[in-house]
Parts: sequence; C-alpha cells; structure tokens
Amino acid sequence: MTQTDVDPGTLANVQFRQVGKPLTRTDAPGKVTGRTPYAGDYVMPNMLHMRVVRADIASARLARLDVSKARALAGVACVLTADEVTDRTAATDIPGQTGQKRLDTDQPILVKDRVRYFGEPLALIAAETRDIADHAAELIEFELEPIPGVYDPLEALKPGAPLVYGEDNIVAERKIRKGDVEAGFARADLVVGNTYKTPFQEHAFLEPEVGLAWVDENDVVNIRVSTQVIEHFRPIADAIGVPHNKVRVRGALVGGGFGGKEDLTVEVYLALLAKQTGRPVRLEYSREDSFVGHGKRHPFILTYRTGVTKDGKITALDVQMIADAGAYVFLSPYVVLYALVAAPGPYRVDNLNVFAQAVATNNMYTSAFRGFGALQACTAYEQQMDEIANTLGIDRLELRRRNFLKTGEPMSTGFVPPSAIWTEQCAEKAWAGLGEPSPEKGPIRTGRGLACYQQSYGRLTFLHDTSEAWVGVEMDGTVVVRSGVTDIGAGQISALGQIAVEVLGVTLDNVVIYNSDSAVTPLAGTTTATRALYMTGNAAKQAAEGLRARLAERAAQEFGAAPDEIDMAFNEVFVIDRPEQRMPLVELVRTCAAEGIHRSELAIFRAPFSDFLDPETGQGQAHPDYAYGAHAVEVSVDVETGEVEVLKSIAAHDVGQCINPAAVEGQIQGGAQNGQGYALSEEMLYEEGRLVTPSFSEYLMPTAMDMPNVECIILESRSGVGPFGAKGIGEPAMTAVAPAIANAVADAIGVRVFEMPITPERVVTALQQRDAS
Amino acid sequence: MYAPFELDIPTDLDGALAALANGGGKTVLPIAGGTNLIVDIRAKRERPDRMVGLGEVDELLGMDFGPERIAIGGRTTVSDLLRSPEIAQAAPSLIDAARLFGGLMVRNTGTVAGNIASGSPAADLVPPLLVLDAELTLASASATRTLALDDYYLGYKQDARRPDELITRISWPRLPENSANTFYKLARRKGDAITVTGVAVTLSVTDGSCTRARIALASVAPIVRRVKEAEAVLEGEALTPALIDEAATAAADACTPIDDIRASAGYRRHTVQALTRRLVTQAWDRLA
Repeated sequence: MTQTDVDPGTLANVQFRQVGKPLTRTDAPGKVTGRTPYAGDYVMPNMLHMRVVRADIASARLARLDVSKARALAGVACVLTADEVTDRTAATDIPGQTGQKRLDTDQPILVKDRVRYFGEPLALIAAETRDIADHAAELIEFELEPIPGVYDPLEALKPGAPLVYGEDNIVAERKIRKGDVEAGFARADLVVGNTYKTPFQEHAFLEPEVGLAWVDENDVVNIRVSTQVIEHFRPIADAIGVPHNKVRVRGALVGGGFGGKEDLTVEVYLALLAKQTGRPVRLEYSREDSFVGHGKRHPFILTYRTGVTKDGKITALDVQMIADAGAYVFLSPYVVLYALVAAPGPYRVDNLNVFAQAVATNNMYTSAFRGFGALQACTAYEQQMDEIANTLGIDRLELRRRNFLKTGEPMSTGFVPPSAIWTEQCAEKAWAGLGEPSPEKGPIRTGRGLACYQQSYGRLTFLHDTSEAWVGVEMDGTVVVRSGVTDIGAGQISALGQIAVEVLGVTLDNVVIYNSDSAVTPLAGTTTATRALYMTGNAAKQAAEGLRARLAERAAQEFGAAPDEIDMAFNEVFVIDRPEQRMPLVELVRTCAAEGIHRSELAIFRAPFSDFLDPETGQGQAHPDYAYGAHAVEVSVDVETGEVEVLKSIAAHDVGQCINPAAVEGQIQGGAQNGQGYALSEEMLYEEGRLVTPSFSEYLMPTAMDMPNVECIILESRSGVGPFGAKGIGEPAMTAVAPAIANAVADAIGVRVFEMPITPERVVTALQQRDAS
Repeated sequence: MYAPFELDIPTDLDGALAALANGGGKTVLPIAGGTNLIVDIRAKRERPDRMVGLGEVDELLGMDFGPERIAIGGRTTVSDLLRSPEIAQAAPSLIDAARLFGGLMVRNTGTVAGNIASGSPAADLVPPLLVLDAELTLASASATRTLALDDYYLGYKQDARRPDELITRISWPRLPENSANTFYKLARRKGDAITVTGVAVTLSVTDGSCTRARIALASVAPIVRRVKEAEAVLEGEALTPALIDEAATAAADACTPIDDIRASAGYRRHTVQALTRRLVTQAWDRLA
C-alpha cells in the first residue's frame, strides 16, 4: 500500500504528464515474457568456457602450483597462472575524474606467492566445455603453506599482529573534529556510552557474476558482462596492458547489484583469456563461486558516547568506528568516509569527534554494499537514540524531535544540505502508521521501534562526477535516448525515458532507450551511490530540454509566438494560451529536418565539485545532497525461544519527487527485506577466514513467509538536486530498517542485543544475562 | 559439475527392486525427489555409479485410509500431504511439519520416504511420524518386511535399510479419541530453513489421565529420536505443571545436541525444554 504526500507549498505550478505516474516500466514486458537477454544468455560460435581455481586457505604461501596436467588434458585451450600475468594488478574502482586513487594496494590478478583470503584466485582455465574446464580444475595441483593470519580487526590493530600487507594493518583513517567536545560533555547532565556490532552481509543478487568476451576485427576486447560499472573498461585495459580504447564493455540488464557488481568481478579474467586464446570466452560463477567471488559489507564495531542534557538535547558526541576491510583495500577508504560523515545521523550535533578506521584482516575483502558505511553508522546512532531516551525517560520520538537537523542547518561536516530535511515529517508518519498495538499472549511480547536516517545520494563531490545523455527525436516523432547508464533492476533506464518524454510531450511507449555500452553510448558513470537518477536523470533532462528549446523556437516562428509561449504535450505542439494554434510534433520535426535543424542533443551533467574534506577537522562538502526518512516496525518476540517476527514494517521517505512511484515502492519493499535479513537472519560466518556459510542453505535471507506487508509512505518535498526535485531511494530504502527492528526487539523484551544479526539464540542469551544480574 | 552416472528408469516396483538388487559391486542408489541426493552428488558427498529413478513406479503412490491404520506410498510428496484433508485430520503434526518443509519446489518433488531415508538428524517429517508410531514397509527383490520407524535409525546417517531395499510404504495407527498431535519447528527463519530444534508431541487422555505420551526431537541428537525418558514421566498421570516441567527437563537431559553454525548445544537444549513444556501443556490443556 502506498500513500503519497506532497507539501502544498511546493505544489505551485507543477503539473506533470508523465513524471510521477506509476507507468509500466520500459524494461518490464521483456522481463515478464522472458525475452530480455541477460549477460549470461549470450553465446558465440567457437566459444570457450572458463573456470577460476581458488585457494582453500585464507593466509598462506603458495609453495607449488602445477598446472601441467590440466594443460595436457584434451579440450583445454589455456591455463593461466601468475607466471603468465606477472606483476599485473587490477584496480578495484574507477578513481573518479580527478584521477585521485586509493592507497596503492590493488589486488594481484592471480596469486603469485602470497594468499591473503579464502577463495583468492590461483589460476584461470579455458576449455571447450564446462565439464572439461571442471575436470581440468581438479587436475591442478597446488600446495599452500599456512602463514599465521589475522581474522579480527581488533587483533589486527595490536602491536605484533600478523600483517596482511604493508607496514601495518590500517587501511584508512578518517576523522571529524568539530566544536568543543570536552566542553560539550562538561555541559551534559548524562553521558550514555555503548558499543554496537554489525555483521558481514552478502549481496545475494539473483544473477551471479557472468560475462562473455571476444576480440573483434579492430583488436578491441569486447566484454558483455553483468556489472554496475561499464567504465571499468579503463582498469581492465590497464590490467591487460592495452590502450583504453581497445576495451569495450557492453552491459546487459543486470539481475541485481546492491554494490556487489560495483568492483570488477569476472571482467579481467575474461579479457585475459579472450586475448590469450583469440576465441570468445564465457565465465559464469556458480552460487558458491559468487559467495567467495565478490566483497561483502564491512562489519563495524561502533562505540558511541553521547552527552545529553536532562531534557534530551545532545551536547557532545564522540564516536569510534572500526571496520573490517578484509584482505584487500577495494572501496574501504570510501566506506569509512561515508560512515564518518554519517556518524551523528540526522541530528544537530555541534560538538563532534569521530574517528573511523578500516583495518586489514585475512577475512574476505569488504567493499560496496547498499548503504556503504552510512548504513552501519545508522545502525548504531539509532540504537543509541533509543538507549538515551530510555535512560532519560523521554518518549523515543520526542527525543529525536528535540535533536533533528533542520532544513538549512549544518551537518557533521559543516556543510548545509541544499534540500529540505523532512526527517520529522517522515518519522511521525511512519510511527503513526504502526496503528493499534498487536496483542501479547503467553511467552509472546511485542515491541515497537523507529529509526531515522541521513543517506547521501550522488558520489563523493571530490571525485568530480559527471554523467552524459543524448536525446534525439526521429522523423516520425518517436524518441531515442542514449546513455551509458547500467540498469541493475531498479528501473534506471525507464526513468530516463519518463524524464525525456515528459519534456518532449510524448508518451513512454514512444521512446526507446539504448544504454550500457562503453564505446557507443555517452558515458554516464556508475550505477552506484544512489546516483543514477540524480546524475543521469539530470543529464537526460538537460538533453531533452536542449532539444525541446530548439523545436520550440522553430514552432514559435511558425505560430508567430515567443518560444516560451510554446508547450508540447500528447504528441502535439501548441501555443499555451491559444491552443487552437497547434501542429502534430511529427510535422514540426519534419520541418526541422528539412531545414537542417539539429534533432538531437548531447548533455553533460556535472555534480558539484569540491576539494577533499579537511584532513584534520573533516569539515567541508562530502556529497551533493542527502535524503532523509524513517522506518518503523512492530515485532513480536517469543521470550522462551528468542524467535523474532516482524509484524508491521512502515517506511516513510522523502524522495523529493517520484519519477515512477511503482519503482520507488519497489525499492522500498526491497530495502525493507534487505534490512530485515541484515537485522535478524543473514550471517556470513568465517572460521580462520574460511567461509562456513557458503550457500543459501546456511545464509538465510527473509522469505515471503518471513516478510510482513511493507507499507510505503512516500513524501515529496520537491527539493532534491535530481531531476524535477528528485532525491534518491536506492540506498535510503534500506538504511534505517535494521536499527528500527533492533529498537523494537529491545522495546519488546526490555534488554538490548548489541550485536546483529539478532538471532533467537542471542535474544535468549540477553534475557538470561538480564535475569542473572 | 556432476560426475557421470548411469540412470535406470524402471516402470514398476519389481523392475526397481531388481535394478537395486543387481548392483554387481557398484554403488546403486534409488532416487525419487532427489532434493537431498542431487545436492549431495553436486557437492561430491555421494558418488553413485548408477541411480534407479522411481518416478514411474506407480505402486509407490497413493494413500489408504483404513478404519484402523493410515498408509501412504513411499513416493508421496510433501505437497501430496498438504493436499489431503484426511491427513490433516488424522496426522496434524505431519501437516505442521509439511507446511514449513523446504520451499514450494522442494515440497512438490521431495518425498516422505526420501526424507526418512536421507537420515538427516534435522528431517522434519520424522518427528511427527515417530509420535504417530509409524511403521515402514521395506521391500527388496527377495523379501518384504516391516519395521517400526523407532527402530529404523542406528546412528548418524546410519539406518536399517539395506542398499537393495526401498521404503515402499509408511503407515500408522489412527490416533485414539481425545488425542493431540503437534509439531513445532524452530529455525532461523520461517520459510525454507534447516531446523534448529524440532519437537513433536502426541498426547492421549482418558478419564483425566494421560494414557499415552510420545515426544520426538529433531536436530538435537545424531538421529531424530523419541525421548522415552520424558514420555515415561507423563504416561498414566494426571498432568500438573510440575510433572510437565519434569518431562521437559528429562527431554532436555536426554538429548545430545552439538554446536553448529545454526545454534549452540546449550541453546538447543534450552529450547527442547521450553518447547516440550509448551507443546505438552497446550495438548494437556486442550484435552483434559
């Protein structure tokens, strides 16, 4: 169920014909009928099948690797080891247009001598069939001599701890020093201190990593791959040692990303073997490969110490965060930066110290995952708000109200978000949405929890992000959009279509969108960081507006009117106050064509550019803008078995402006599920770095039987920096779900489980400890 | 991905039993739903030379609702159970288990006999069948025998079935008047999860006294098993909270759980006690 609220103050003169309507997405019919090819559906004649051979110990020296038997097997075309790809590493993120890079610790493509995590690739096989590739994998002999590893970030920080690489295990450190924290604590009536722990999480997209690569007649390596980032063509080219214009990445509609396809996955392996063999090569990960084949969400240990007055005003906040970065750097420095910036949440904290570290271990490397550090911070700051409220005896929503950051106020970095901050409106609606309390019976207790959030949309502003889109109108009045954006299932490309046709006055069935080709569609950047709608949506809008202006100018000439008197709607062009003066769009387009007037427009949208945050104080601009909202839940807890059931799940988000409310609701529903699993049941367990939950039989995401009806309350402040005032919803939809559940469980049983997931056993243990004390 | 194997697809029971009898020293495994076996083969835990597919052996289908006993064929699927109003009436615990058994696709193809024969200590259909006093019919090419389910498991993944035998039928006596029969599955999520603790209870009451008690536990011992120590506390008694507590404690003492990725032994023992107490209390309150 969806309920939409628009602030009457922002309604003025805004009337949309296409935007804001739950239109059938352009990608829906193909997906529903099964006609849409995903990356794994592409095959080529004479194609080889690949297999990756992986280390089965997390910390070891590669003493021996013998691939001779595999190479000798009939039907094996190629086996590559580090000996053939000497000293090559694969960068793990596009570094941004400024050329800034993370610490120079990219992962070697294949292990040469040192294994740093369980599953690290040792060799690549290409063979005539999958069976032969599998057989060859069994013929590869290797010996790993265990090296003492480190599997706990706190251990990794101790002097004398085994080193994962480099001189110490500190991958990144960030800090905020704002106001006078000591004075703030001195003014406090009470200081509340707690430590919260968050777990690894697996993206678990429906479509495991897959791709097909071939070398074309121009010697260009083409890669058809399931990815969030087609602009990895640059690090792929660097990794295989060819110029950037000799690698072309073609996406396909993606079966889920969530950050797990933000880093390189199979691309470099495919490129190497396509080049080596001269034949098309295909690599598809099994689910088991996928579990060890991409980075996870960072587990965090977050220690919050909050000074508050008796009436609940925060006077000071000190936060220490330690994130497990795993065995390689990947996006860890950015993830802890997001956590740092998000540390106080959507609250006004003028005296703030934050210190955030990413620490290397021999666990699976960690990288991007929906929420990207800001979610882990929310998990802590929202549980902390409940702890403060309960200690002071103040209503939990009221405590939040007394501290909410308001529109126009400076956030943690001193930056003033340009848009409206509607946290309070969202929190009130979500909380009220819980309705009448559910009954308690026998060992069943019920409880309620609320969590509010601040989540950025758009990439870090010091990366100088840009996005391009091209919009053209055909001779029959139909519209074409071209943009390199990847669509990972959230309706990214359909939204571009909806924006373009809104501006050009046609309907969505009149548009075709070409996307996700690094060579022929204008480069649009990544589908990450809740940026696709913001960045590429703005680019598409600019392009469509540029084209419309040219068409309107010609129409104005035709009608003897001024260009700003022209409107375009329902495939017609007319004078606004004299609608009898009209012509079909197709007629105008033909006139323009005959006169050589340009019928297309290429636009680039530039996010705000900033310098890096001040390294000492953490002050400055980190992101273009922020989204705000709240999630409320009601749970029941069986105090004998510890089982938790989510009874009600209510989301209220200010999305700025819905482009497609059905797609927005889809994101909110998915975020509620993703966050519920994170809070309650999803657990990646590692023993000495070895994954012991390697399949969906052990790794438990909520099923339909576990999910309540999720109610979506969509607010539209129309204040965002995206197209038509849109903000973003991809990441925000998930951020507050888990702490809301944690708060509800604590409300139900009167004691908090400080570590997620909140398993039945942890609930029972917390209750037993409470009873014992 | 899969090691090669031969596949026989006999069209009747004699053919299936003959195929199982003529292994000639090779590993021959029967396969019905395959929801465990295929997973094990893919993970290389099982390496059959040949498999005997039972999908066309119609003698293994069907349910028989007699005045004294209920019998179901070995190929009865979990979904077949859920579609049967007679089963719902005659074996409520089996329906409790079937509802939460795997996912829909697994329920549609996984069979009752397969769940028994796979020997998992977490097999969800076994505790209900144990508290129903179920009996198995084991057939081979040379003989047919019956065996109480209670005598079927010998140890972890060890059972009384010879490699040339099939579980052709599962039967149990109708519950006496004034009986309660329930199963509770405790897992880390509701749908499609491996059981952390499973408890099944049958209680029959006559004239204010518990005439028969059956309690069976899953996932807390090397095999799914009854806890006769706890049953004995209840039988012949008018139940009181103290007596039920005693039985629950006896059940917790009798089980031998281990720590694994799903839960610790201590938590399992705690929940055996809590759930035994709960299910017996609910049954008694309903009947007495």
